[in-house]
Amino acid sequence: MSDDDKYATQVALVKEECKDADVGEITEEFRRYENEFLIPPNDALRSVIRKFQAASGQEMTTISPTQTRIEKKVDRFSDLGSDDKNVTIEVAVVTYVPRVQMVRGEEKQIAFGWIEDNPWESNDKRERWDFKDWGAHSENLAPNSVVRLEGVSVNEWNDKRSININRGSRVTVLREGGPAVPTLSDEPVTIEKASENEGYVNLLARIISLKPDIIVKKDGSGSLDIFRGTFADSSGKISFLSWVPINHEVGDLVKVEGAMIRKFRETPEVNINDRTKIEKYHDNNFASIEELSKATTSKIGDLRNGMKDIITTVQVESWQSRSFTNSEGEEKIVRSGDVMDPTGRCRLTAWCDMNPKPGDFLHLTGARVQFWQGSPDLVVDNIDQISNLTDAPWEAIDPEQHWVEIELSDLVNSGSRRGIKTRGTIVAVRPDSGIIERCPECRRILRDSNCLDHGAQHGVEDLRLKFVIDNGIHNASLILAKEPSEEFLGMSQEMVKEKISQRGKEDFVSEVRGKSLARKVVINGRSLVDEQGAMILAEDVNFDSVSNEDTANIVVKEWGVLL
Amino acid sequence: MGGASMMNQTRARRQSAIRIFAQEYSDANLPLEGVGEYDPSFIITKLGAKVNRAIFGGVIDRFERREGDNGPNYNGHLRDATGGIHRFQIAQFQPELHADAEELLARFESGDRYLMMMIGRARWFESDDGGIFTSFRAEEFCIVERPVYVNWLVETSEATLRRLAAYSASLGSDNNSEALKSAGVPLDLIEGMILAKGHYSDFDPESYKVGVLQGLSMALNSNSEIDNMISPSGNDIEKDNSLNTFSSPESENKSDVPKSEPKGDVEDVILNAVRNSSSPDGIPYDSIVLSCVEAGFSRELSEDAIEDLRDIKCQIIEPRFGFFQILD
Repeated sequence: MSDDDKYATQVALVKEECKDADVGEITEEFRRYENEFLIPPNDALRSVIRKFQAASGQEMTTISPTQTRIEKKVDRFSDLGSDDKNVTIEVAVVTYVPRVQMVRGEEKQIAFGWIEDNPWESNDKRERWDFKDWGAHSENLAPNSVVRLEGVSVNEWNDKRSININRGSRVTVLREGGPAVPTLSDEPVTIEKASENEGYVNLLARIISLKPDIIVKKDGSGSLDIFRGTFADSSGKISFLSWVPINHEVGDLVKVEGAMIRKFRETPEVNINDRTKIEKYHDNNFASIEELSKATTSKIGDLRNGMKDIITTVQVESWQSRSFTNSEGEEKIVRSGDVMDPTGRCRLTAWCDMNPKPGDFLHLTGARVQFWQGSPDLVVDNIDQISNLTDAPWEAIDPEQHWVEIELSDLVNSGSRRGIKTRGTIVAVRPDSGIIERCPECRRILRDSNCLDHGAQHGVEDLRLKFVIDNGIHNASLILAKEPSEEFLGMSQEMVKEKISQRGKEDFVSEVRGKSLARKVVINGRSLVDEQGAMILAEDVNFDSVSNEDTANIVVKEWGVLL
Repeated sequence: MGGASMMNQTRARRQSAIRIFAQEYSDANLPLEGVGEYDPSFIITKLGAKVNRAIFGGVIDRFERREGDNGPNYNGHLRDATGGIHRFQIAQFQPELHADAEELLARFESGDRYLMMMIGRARWFESDDGGIFTSFRAEEFCIVERPVYVNWLVETSEATLRRLAAYSASLGSDNNSEALKSAGVPLDLIEGMILAKGHYSDFDPESYKVGVLQGLSMALNSNSEIDNMISPSGNDIEKDNSLNTFSSPESENKSDVPKSEPKGDVEDVILNAVRNSSSPDGIPYDSIVLSCVEAGFSRELSEDAIEDLRDIKCQIIEPRFGFFQILD
């Protein structure tokens, strides 16, 4: 094989970077690296490119003398340990998002984004990591460039690793980033898709609300003028917060480039800063503001903590009001009740004078969601946000029978919900099931007759059962308070207490296990979902009555099994 | 945007219990050890199941207590509809399970056979020559009525069908997550599938269908087969109880199949294995058993001989649970 053929791939790469270089000279250079310096062509590539860039007068970064620290040179992120420091790696820069962050009381310009290892290979052979730039290397970290990072460190937080580019780190540009951002991230995505992850996005959306707002700095050093509003497209809507003035109006269709999706509580929000580009866009086929406002009404099952500007319709199940004196000595009245729609139920709190009757249908606009005891609940502040519908939007729901069936996997992956029905197999009976003692002040469980807040207490006895249910893919804790426990066991709290005092707690748990382990149960209750996992507070639990034969027939049919 | 990785900042959650037949689990020999202190470890099966925790059931097939320095531990086998066995242990550091284990042991020793369901964590042991022996450490268990076991058979049949479908979907696909995802492999199986395909050589997935068909037939037809399984006079049980027969219950595990007629005395084989072990901590139990099996002795005979040498003849000692040394 001639040298021309042997080095053809590498020569082509060099030619891409240095168009004026002579092929014969490049080949000769690779031959020299291999024969004289014993560096194989792939490893020599960067050196050769640099040489020809320098020869053609292209700008390049000078390399300062290497430091004496022990460096770890790797090709792939997977070769890095969680506490590796002084790492050298070549990466492709995917995104670079600057932001101002308070570091030890000082306002600092930092940046974060994504980098990918294996930058000379196609995208599907790369791994993507987050990085943080603490050293203002923005000039050398343009998106779509390939750079060598030296003296960077690995950061691990919550099992997730990322790269810290520090002040002392060196960033060498191996291939300049061009205006051509990879098409993958250049294309606007739907709001639904953008809401799935935090990170950098482009959107094509209509502004359906916009108003100026003020953020008062917590340290009392003043306030910031900001803008808040809502974008919508046919897939959904999303709130935005802009740190810069928005020169567009409600109703405008805009193309947004380089915005950040961040989470406020559990709800994704678009962040707009001076790096974000917003321009008016023309598309007569894009949904109108009227259509979008209609399309973005929410159902109770979709509510998440932190949501704002919600349009929804609910059926009232119950209603109460109570008065209290606030910290300024004013007498206030708060009204609240249980409400439902076909997707579930929640509480509604009103800070205004309204007194609906059970069975009324209310149409709410501009409502917000707050967490109360772990469940997302609706809040309205003004009476003009509420209208009492005369025409029923659905056949009246019977609150006694209203349990919305949801697969365990969907339940685990959605937000907290009330009024759900799900099923799973009991795979654990917790040893702390049985009689417990609660603090008479706060109902918290006593440990050795002590409450965390109220000290030594004469506890109030209570009964509960704790299980884990599972469908083979997802799992959730299942907790039964006194009444559902008594019903499930077919025993009163007194009987349970008697049993435990006679035969011991382990014996009781073993008996519950013998009765329930590996059995499939159907649960009505509510779910609390957070980053720790899902928990179901059951109102009642029953063994699944579907026969094995029926289940087997479904499996045979669904999977086309020939018996 | 491919930004999924930015959101995975959660602590390790509880691992769900994989529904798995004995055959698929005992065929597996690919462990995936967690890196961090609390990272879970897994056994990856040929069909790509990532097993850290499993729910399994079957008829009790073997159950014994072994006395250790710090208390007893228990070993047993549950045999399921695939004919394979689920090996399980109850460790001495699980005293909360010992009372129930004793009760079950008493019933077993009196000749009673019963269906059990168990939740267990995957564990494995690697022999000196690199063989991987899989088993479960019991977490919770109970005796169950037939419908509960059949329900597990149906669920496990479905879970196995799902993995079989994922495996065949993966056949025409590149072995990376994007490609497997677009080929239709469910998200929870992708990681295991990538590892499995990188490790195992080609195999015939049809063999895993046998268990599925048996499981579903039992739910749909008469339950006579299960009755056979739990009747103590059943053929298999008889075979299993006779020490010197190279019986079928073990035959699904190829390493246990004697290759030839027994050579020499089983005690010599054991003593040689223990003596020749290079490990300062002693030779692991399963390595001794493997040596015996390779020399043509049955597992049962070997296990009894090990106990005899340890407890009666006092020629070997077990200074640490599961590891043996020569008593000089």
